[in-house]
Amino acid sequence: MTDQWVSFSKVGDAELVSLTGEIDLANSGEIGKAIVGRIKESGKVLIDLTTVSFLDSAGVRLLDALVGDLLGHGARTRLVVGERGAARMTLTLCAFREDVLTTDLERAAADLK
Amino acid sequence: MSDSGGPDVTQELRLPWDDDPDDLYEHAPCGYLTTLPDGTIVKVNQTFLAWTGYTRAELVGHRRFRDLLSSGGQIFHETHYAPLLRMQDEVRELAFDVVCADRSTLATLVNSVLARGPANEPRAIRTTVFNATDRRKYEKELLYARKQAEAAERRVKVLQGIVADLAAAPTEAEVAEAVVRAPEPAFDAASSSIYLIDEERDLIVAVASTDPTTGNWDDMPRSSKRAVARVAERGDLHVVGSIGEARQHFPDLVDSMRKSGRNTVVLLPLTTGPTDEQAGTETLGVLAFSFTGERKLSDGELRVVRLLGQQAGQALDRARLYDDARLREERATFLAETTRELDELHRLMPRARRLVDRVVPQIADWAQLRLAVGTPGILEDAGAPPPAADLLAETEQRATGACVPVFPAPGDPLGCVVLPLTARGRVLGTLSLRMVPDRRGVEAERAFLIDLADRAGLALENARLYEQERQIARTLQRSLLAGELPHGDPRFALEAHYQAAGRDLEVGGDWFDAFLITKDRLAVVVGDVVGRGIEAATSMGQLRSAIRALAGEPVGPAKLIEGLDRFVERVHNGHMATVAYAEIDLVAGELTYTCAGHMPPLLQPPVGPPEFLLRGRSAPLGSKAGDTRRTEQRVRLPAGSRLLLFTDGLIERRNRPLDKGFEVLSREFARRRDAPMQGLTGGLADMLVSRDHTDDVCLLCVSLGTEERLERSLGADRAHIALLRADLRAWLVGHGVEPDCRDPVLLACSEAVANAIEHGYRDNPFGTIDVVATVTTDAVEVRVTDHGVWRGAVADVARGRGLQLIRESMDQVMFDRSDGTTVIMRRSREGR
Repeated sequence: MTDQWVSFSKVGDAELVSLTGEIDLANSGEIGKAIVGRIKESGKVLIDLTTVSFLDSAGVRLLDALVGDLLGHGARTRLVVGERGAARMTLTLCAFREDVLTTDLERAAADLK
Repeated sequence: MSDSGGPDVTQELRLPWDDDPDDLYEHAPCGYLTTLPDGTIVKVNQTFLAWTGYTRAELVGHRRFRDLLSSGGQIFHETHYAPLLRMQDEVRELAFDVVCADRSTLATLVNSVLARGPANEPRAIRTTVFNATDRRKYEKELLYARKQAEAAERRVKVLQGIVADLAAAPTEAEVAEAVVRAPEPAFDAASSSIYLIDEERDLIVAVASTDPTTGNWDDMPRSSKRAVARVAERGDLHVVGSIGEARQHFPDLVDSMRKSGRNTVVLLPLTTGPTDEQAGTETLGVLAFSFTGERKLSDGELRVVRLLGQQAGQALDRARLYDDARLREERATFLAETTRELDELHRLMPRARRLVDRVVPQIADWAQLRLAVGTPGILEDAGAPPPAADLLAETEQRATGACVPVFPAPGDPLGCVVLPLTARGRVLGTLSLRMVPDRRGVEAERAFLIDLADRAGLALENARLYEQERQIARTLQRSLLAGELPHGDPRFALEAHYQAAGRDLEVGGDWFDAFLITKDRLAVVVGDVVGRGIEAATSMGQLRSAIRALAGEPVGPAKLIEGLDRFVERVHNGHMATVAYAEIDLVAGELTYTCAGHMPPLLQPPVGPPEFLLRGRSAPLGSKAGDTRRTEQRVRLPAGSRLLLFTDGLIERRNRPLDKGFEVLSREFARRRDAPMQGLTGGLADMLVSRDHTDDVCLLCVSLGTEERLERSLGADRAHIALLRADLRAWLVGHGVEPDCRDPVLLACSEAVANAIEHGYRDNPFGTIDVVATVTTDAVEVRVTDHGVWRGAVADVARGRGLQLIRESMDQVMFDRSDGTTVIMRRSREGR
């Protein structure tokens, strides 16, 4: 059901969660469930938001909860967000934690090595 | 001398010798007796004495005539002879058996005369006795012959009755019934039984008996030593005259003859011809009948018995042929019906299902169809219980490997027929059947099953090809419809929807297209090609391409359709296709349209009710009988108008007049005038098309010009937020609002609507949210209004973040709670 917005793959030993399209109140719940179901046991998680064309506060809430959970049980995580664009704008407006944001997938992967 | 010149017989002739009267009396050619009226013999001649062996002394004065008669004769003497004599004074030709001295009897005929005295008193009885031995024998023979004739006649009658019954008996069982009833009336048999030969199983089976308590009823192999089997083999009539004879020749009969009190048994082979012509004669069964008491059968009876055997044999032969013919006819009917029923369903899976459902229980108690089509293949079964899977798999492999049917050998643990299904030289799979074993017709049955497999194979292969073709048609159609519609021009927006016909139907020929003729001229088209499947999809592709090729700035709709008419004539394809074609001048805001036999477009102006565009009409493409003078019509298309082109599947319903369909469509289109474009056509189709629609449906909606104000009304449904965002984004783009401003406005508007849904309408899923956006040269303003109940949960973190985002995104945010809740948000178009 959520395949059009979220897909999963691996970068080295890290789990890569790629989000795309518009993430809002209507789909963030389902997307969250899909991600949690997949990365529960992962020690390293990358969340790629570079092709997200819209992100609202429900999406931010989802990312907030995900990052909080992962860090809470000692996993390492990075969000990949473009320099500009809808996702970057929303996250900036919400004053999201800058330390987990990167602009580049390779650098993010290297960060988690 | 007499007148005739012969001797005069009125006078005694003189004999050439002296005739002594005494000698004449004593040695007359008949016996003489003179008795007293009480019967006491007083005089008797030598002839009588010689015949009877008595001496004169033994009789005269000692015996009465009646004393010499048999006991029956004595009674007759008393009741007839004596009274008659007294009344008439004479009796003639009375038959008496005289008991001779040696106790043997002498058949006689007696004449007596009563002599009376002067006072009329009886004085003496004179009796002549004629020897009737020979005559009596002759009479007996006559009587016997008559009896014989009567018995023969009765037998013939019985046999005629049987023959008539046999002729009317259509089945083997009925023939057996008729035959088994023959021996009792025909030969006075005590009981009879009939046995039939089952050639295929090499058995002899008892099928009927008039007294089932006698005899041995077990099936026996044809090679059995039992009497019935021996006689069947020899094909000769056997009469076992006594238990002694049975012991000698057919010991197995002794017991049952003893038990049932039979002394004679007749074993009659039932043959297809006279038994003396061995060639070409076949024994089909044995009729056994038996008698209590030893019974000798006369030659005449034996002839009739043999005849019965032949008649019965021929009737059996005929009935077998008839049985076979009927079975063949049943099988032929089954095949024909199966073929027809399979033809009723086009698709592969339903056909496969129907095949096993027909086979069970009609000809098998379990069946499985396995088809190697696609992955993982098709498996259908019916009936129970399934046989051992490993044995079945092995046999299936054998059948498909060699491409020959596998029939179970006797005692086969699987007990199933496995038929490979082939068509056009390709093995599709197998049909496995477990059938109730039939006594007969194995060869015919095999031929039937092979025929069934051939037909099933072909029907399934055709269904497979149909599926393939359907898939190709689908793919072709999808590829033609999937072409990207023009977008990104703020002056118009397009939304299309295609819905295939109900399940199991071939793809139809509906299509839509939209393209820019020049940068300021947009063409939109919806059409419907006659027919279904690949052919329709192909025609549709050709027409679609032809329209794109023909369209040009100076051409216009009417000329374009004329061009299409020529195209249709040249390619001999697409005749009677209908097309609604329109060109929109994006600068002048003018629509030019034409309808070649197609549903009229529906126009929703910015104000007022929608109207159907009923002019510019002409006949379908390539029409021979219709009016093919192509015309076109111009109407003004103010900014904010929406135009809907559609195919008839949208409004046609079998149980609804077309007018009503137009009315419903017009109403639904008007009701959605403020709905976001995205999802509009799909929503209309969902609303209007019934679930089991049999036609495909195609809609194309174009919205014109950039509205000065964006006004939208949406339901309290999270899914609607994205639709609104799409319209708002297009509207902002249309007004040249830059991304730096556009994205925050989209975010703030989304958050405001989300808030209204989440909080204002927390308890009311049917609430509506009104969104009004306006733009000036230096600012964008968005108002989001709901009529829900806001609770003062300012501490709500989620709501807090939403509000925070709104405030961060916009320059100015105000709340008006005078009528529901309105959030008024403004943002400058200048970069901050």
